[in-house]
Amino acid sequence: MSTSRSGRFRLGVSVACASVALILAACGGGGGGGGGSSSNSSGSGDGQPVAGAPSWCGSKKITLALADGFGDNNWRKVTSAEAQDEAKKCPSVTKYVYTDGQGNTQKAISDIRSLVAQGVDAMVVFPDAGKAVLPAIRQAYKAGVVTVPYRVFPGGKEGQDYDYFIKTDFKQAGVLWANWLVKALNGKGNVVNLGGPPANSQSLDEYAGMQSVLKDHPGIKFIGTTPYNVTNWDPAQTQKVVTAVLAKYPKIDAFTTDFGAALQASFGAFKQAGRQIPAVATEDANKLSCAWQSSKSANPNFKLFTVDSQNWMSRTAVQFAVAKATGGKVPSSTQVPQKAFEDSISGEPNPVTCDKAMPGDAFMSSHLTKPQQRTALQ
Amino acid sequence: MSRDASGSTPGSVATPATPAAAASAPRAAAASERRVSERVGRSAGAATGTDAATILLLAVSWFVEPQSLSHSSLLGMLPFAAILAIVAVGQTLVIQQGGIDLSVPGVISLTVVLLASVPDGDNGKLPIAIGYAIVGALAAGALSGVLVSRVGITPIVTTLGMNALLYGFVIQVSNGNPPPTTSGLNDFATSKIAGVPTTVPIAIVVTAIVALIVKKTVAGRRFEGVGASNSGARAAGLVVARHKSIAYVAAALLYCLGAILLGGVFSDPSAFQGDAYLLPSVAAVVLGGTSLLGGRGSVAASAVAAVFLTQLDQLLLTSGASSAVQNLVQAGALAIGIAVYSVPWGRVRGWWRERSEASASAASRR
Repeated sequence: MSTSRSGRFRLGVSVACASVALILAACGGGGGGGGGSSSNSSGSGDGQPVAGAPSWCGSKKITLALADGFGDNNWRKVTSAEAQDEAKKCPSVTKYVYTDGQGNTQKAISDIRSLVAQGVDAMVVFPDAGKAVLPAIRQAYKAGVVTVPYRVFPGGKEGQDYDYFIKTDFKQAGVLWANWLVKALNGKGNVVNLGGPPANSQSLDEYAGMQSVLKDHPGIKFIGTTPYNVTNWDPAQTQKVVTAVLAKYPKIDAFTTDFGAALQASFGAFKQAGRQIPAVATEDANKLSCAWQSSKSANPNFKLFTVDSQNWMSRTAVQFAVAKATGGKVPSSTQVPQKAFEDSISGEPNPVTCDKAMPGDAFMSSHLTKPQQRTALQ
Repeated sequence: MSRDASGSTPGSVATPATPAAAASAPRAAAASERRVSERVGRSAGAATGTDAATILLLAVSWFVEPQSLSHSSLLGMLPFAAILAIVAVGQTLVIQQGGIDLSVPGVISLTVVLLASVPDGDNGKLPIAIGYAIVGALAAGALSGVLVSRVGITPIVTTLGMNALLYGFVIQVSNGNPPPTTSGLNDFATSKIAGVPTTVPIAIVVTAIVALIVKKTVAGRRFEGVGASNSGARAAGLVVARHKSIAYVAAALLYCLGAILLGGVFSDPSAFQGDAYLLPSVAAVVLGGTSLLGGRGSVAASAVAAVFLTQLDQLLLTSGASSAVQNLVQAGALAIGIAVYSVPWGRVRGWWRERSEASASAASRR
């Protein structure tokens, strides 16, 4: 969900901007992925952590940019607010710039280029369009801007095309879902998997992760289209797909989906078909949790399991970018783990968490404070 | 329904076309009349063709995937079909005037976010929100209409620009992330009358009213005449620009109405809810037999085509076909639909006859 729902990002960089100042700015403390470009060649002479700030915050003053490929949905809004909140922890970040590619690859590329032209020192990029924005990312990197793409793989290599790529393993989300399904369905049942646009890597990886567990549990079968029913992460299309599978299959024991809020918006289709809501494994969403609380008594088979929506992943990307650019201590791992968040059966690590005082599209797994998140979603 | 609407006689459109043709040589007049009557003949056949195709599709659905016609499946499909039908009726009016309206997504999305963001859950503020939405749609339609008809900017450019402008307002109003629409709107749009979703009778009544106005009133006949031939209508003393502008305004109002129902059926909209309606609205008009070059058309046939497209979608989803196959079948249905109406089969036959006659006479000479 986060990928395309979350938008697109691009970096554009003009080689002409490769000024000495930028090159110097891009140098910094050591760390994992540094590599061959000239921007990595200088030392971390000014790399003293700032007192009272996290260790990744060095003393060199920088301008930080977040080049989002798309900014207009709840996931993106909370995610970019997390990035900004993280940047605020480091006083060396004197200026923070945000650009929104509006889901338009061309705009995302020109956003990246103009950020380089503006002379930002470090840039966190959500490369929604994947490889299409790699040339812009590479240009930014070669121009000496510390460049950190995250979540969507843009191709290329750390140290050649960008400084670090902050990644997560969506297969792991699939493994978590499948392990829970085995428990929730007692090893037997029919499962419908919903995913995003055709052939998107996130939905494919999640399916592969589930398959790796379910191959040992032949009683659990996927029905409907495999690897996933295409919903384009569009709530209206999700509703049509749910209507269709309910009409076709008299027995559905569970749904898995990477966009739980869209499935929640389709709960009316279950009522219309005179069917009960079955078990659901997905990503966390406040309104889904609230819907679970209000409908669990009428739908005894509606068990809910969610993985963390990982809005805070942008914080890791900011830490890497700021550490490298300011001369702070670069964190150790570029891999952000998938974690379980809610489980209505075990209550571990959290019971289903509904906060009626928060907007329905809030994420209880977010690391923002509630007022911060409310502001971000307004 | 569609047959009634297109039932008027072909001659009625030839009238405005004739004066212009008469001004030039008699041969040109005859040619022009033939062209007009060809278009008329095509659209009359279109309505029956769309009905037949829809009935055929329902039959195929019943054989191939009976579940796609189950009670719950129909209840899920019909509201979407009804909304698309209303939007397609609007698009028909514009295309009849030789235009095309690419601001469909903008008007729908703006209406939906106004209905969501202005009341922000308070049913009492819903009428104000609907008022804003109607004013917005009227303004957008009027501006597009004036730019196309008076200033003379191409419809594609005008409405594409209008769409971008409207999306500016969409983001402004919703901040890209609208709240859910109100419970009152949701209850209304998902209610049922005698077991049928309320959206369906609304779509039927709206389509019938527009069809009656276009086909049975003097103003409607003038409107269609202007679409069939601008120069002919001008010669007959009709103000072409006014009729063109009216098409865009009426269309925007219909999109707005469709969007109000969409906001209710779909209680938790995104800021881009209208995006899914651009291509289907044009596809429904084309499948309904209205020529993209303008002229006569049938709003009722467009509405039936909207049902066809939505059921095709539902059938493919229920069949579990992969998304590649779904796209291929939809594209194929569109291509066939367009070919049926836009290839001048009479001329193809004539050309073929001439060719075979020519080769026959060549053979006999030998």
